[in-house]
Amino acid sequence: MAAALVACSGGTEAGNAPSPDATGDPGAGATADTGGSKGVLRLAMNQDIQGWDIGNQPGYMGWPAEAVWDTLFKCDAFNELEPDIAESWEINEDRSGVTAHIREGMEFSDGTPVDSAAVEASFTYIKETSSRAADYASLVIETPDAYTVSLTWDEPQVTLEDKVCAPKITTPALIESGNTNDEPIGSGPYVLDAAKTTRGSVYAFAKNENHWNADHYPYEELLVSVIESETATVSALKTGQLDGARVTAPSVAEVEASGLNTKQYRAQVPRLILSDRTGEKIPALGDVRVRQAINMVFDKETVAQALYLGHAEPTAQVFRPGSRAHIEGLEDPYPFDVEKARELMAEAGYADGFSIELPTMTGQNHETVLPYITQQLAEINITVEQVPLSGANAIGDLLSGTYPVVFWELGNIGDSAMQIYIEATPDGWWNLQHQPNEYVDSRFEQMASADEATSEKLQQEINQYIVDEAWFAPLVYAGGFWAFTDDVQIPTDSFVEGLHPALRDFK
Amino acid sequence: MTRHLLFNLGRSVLVLFVVTFIVFALMYGDGYGIAYSVLGLTATPEAVEAKVVALGLDRPLLTQFGDWLGGAFTGDLGRSFYTGQSVSEALSTRVPVTLSVVIPTLVLTAVISVLLGVTAAVRGGVVDRVVQVISVGGTAVPSFIVAIALVFTFAIRWRFFPATGYTKLSDSPTAWLASVALPMVALLIGAVASAAQQFRTAVLDTIGRDYVRTLRARGVRESNIIFGHVLRNAAAPGLTVISLTVFGLLGGAVFIEQVFVLPGMGQLANMSAQISDVPMVMGTVLVMVLIVLVVNFTTDLAINLLNPKARTR
Repeated sequence: MAAALVACSGGTEAGNAPSPDATGDPGAGATADTGGSKGVLRLAMNQDIQGWDIGNQPGYMGWPAEAVWDTLFKCDAFNELEPDIAESWEINEDRSGVTAHIREGMEFSDGTPVDSAAVEASFTYIKETSSRAADYASLVIETPDAYTVSLTWDEPQVTLEDKVCAPKITTPALIESGNTNDEPIGSGPYVLDAAKTTRGSVYAFAKNENHWNADHYPYEELLVSVIESETATVSALKTGQLDGARVTAPSVAEVEASGLNTKQYRAQVPRLILSDRTGEKIPALGDVRVRQAINMVFDKETVAQALYLGHAEPTAQVFRPGSRAHIEGLEDPYPFDVEKARELMAEAGYADGFSIELPTMTGQNHETVLPYITQQLAEINITVEQVPLSGANAIGDLLSGTYPVVFWELGNIGDSAMQIYIEATPDGWWNLQHQPNEYVDSRFEQMASADEATSEKLQQEINQYIVDEAWFAPLVYAGGFWAFTDDVQIPTDSFVEGLHPALRDFK
Repeated sequence: MTRHLLFNLGRSVLVLFVVTFIVFALMYGDGYGIAYSVLGLTATPEAVEAKVVALGLDRPLLTQFGDWLGGAFTGDLGRSFYTGQSVSEALSTRVPVTLSVVIPTLVLTAVISVLLGVTAAVRGGVVDRVVQVISVGGTAVPSFIVAIALVFTFAIRWRFFPATGYTKLSDSPTAWLASVALPMVALLIGAVASAAQQFRTAVLDTIGRDYVRTLRARGVRESNIIFGHVLRNAAAPGLTVISLTVFGLLGGAVFIEQVFVLPGMGQLANMSAQISDVPMVMGTVLVMVLIVLVVNFTTDLAINLLNPKARTR
């Protein structure tokens, strides 16, 4: 095994200081105290979970999973490792893996011990059966003793932290039984209360007093309701049936008028994704001048004020402020200038424009912004035909590469290396055409074994390149709001996607 | 009459078969989409392929439907593609919620509609006009708009009722009543508006018959004529109206359960249909069609019992 250079242990280790969150507050930390016990925490998620398989849990609104399962590590808002089942660890010098030391005395909800065999079984299950199997294909798991586990890939991993944080840890017996979807067995801070749970409607959890970090979770009970309709969510918030839920900008004034608090999570950058950068499907998009012209037809100040009701900030880059890839003070190279945009189109030989199909999906709150995009693209003679997608395959169609231009409110992940992987590398699912790019791909490869300073430099180079080459037409930093009652405090933000509080953020 | 009922029973079975097959066929053919949706954004083509096979979605339509039908006959409606939950188990918790809103609403609809319809038909004049205006208004406003208005008024402004959620009758009768009161009213307004008009028309039609004039000429008391003769003869169209109301209430429940976050069958059907969770959709369709057929059959039976002329068909 590669020599261990970065050695960490829970809470006080060098190199594992609390990380700033999206708003500059310290991270949740792993061992913060609670300020006393509280009753019930009632949250709402707008879509149901897909059962209890550890390999199929959502990150977005994933409070049920966070409640019932521990993970080997927790990842903070910027994907820095924090202790969970592992109380200390060493990352391989070449970032090809990690050796974790499991805290002793932990038990699953069925009374069996949390040990290296459970970690091995869970990682193996993810490796062999989950939708992320490809991420773990070359993973080798070694368990020299009951409380030590080493995870090693065959090459350095850019997104190592994400990969070791993600798998939920359950018992080997449950995995062996094949009944992984029926009921969760975990060692997390809460235990599912099956009697009070109605699948698809409300999930009830009772506090696990034996959890290693029980003091961090003040609520004795957790109720997570499935409420698809925002109207119903707002009603439930206003009548005190919920303690917290995510709402969109149009509901903010209403919930605030009812005495509720709101906190914005500016973790999204609504943007046109101009993915056909080689002009494979739409030759015009292969010309950078056309992509730059598209960027110049949007008045981002107006978009922020009129379409996002002032709850947004214009941006020329897609990475989160504070993340490594973000370039502080980057001046927008594509200010609103329709005349200049027309000139660029003419220079590129596309003065007469062209047509694009823009896929749309209901429930994305794009109703106000899409007409503006259609109208502005028409200024440079780009005709937009909206193609509604629906049903089970809607997201699959969206990501299939069928549509070279897509409008989406993509998240700006705290771990910008992860975001680069998802949006800019050939394997990334939001790099819709999966077109390789030598400049980006070579730097991404270098990032795998780079130190922090070098990685930051490489990421900012990629960011600048993406801006110069106009891979996207970003509009604003925007995002949803978390509405919550006075009884709830949210002093930290730990969710790497930055869309809402993590369960461990609620106080 | 027995032959007629047996014929109706056979027809119901055929309808059940045809409707479930049509729904199944409409949802068929998107196996890869379903597998992709189940596995998520990061699924590899190999994983999707394996999932399609694991879910049996690579098989021909008739084979899949045959399997489902065979399972349904033995009480096994399969498991959700997404959650792995048994469809029968899901329905066992969902159906009672929907019925606990629909059945009381139906009873209230029948009682109120009869009273309004008879009053409007018998009294006529201003009373009749008022009932008609109320009926038109109640029919014109969609139940989900009524539902939102009720929530704002009685849950948010006055806090008389909870805005969302459901309490089981067995847990607390009063809390149950509070949780279903607004959904019931939201459904009731449209249902009564429609049914009262139909009852009014049926009673008016009967009241104009020769035998009613004869009864009046013989000095029979008006209340005896109305309740002993007119209502009995207006029962057939009335029962048909009530049976149609059941279908309307089941359809309305899909929206009402969304607004009030009731964990009922309508909410399950809506969520499952959006993600093409075929076993769950088929389970809810089966239950709804069964309810419709049972109501139809029962209505037919009741009409036969009440109406001698129908009995002789």
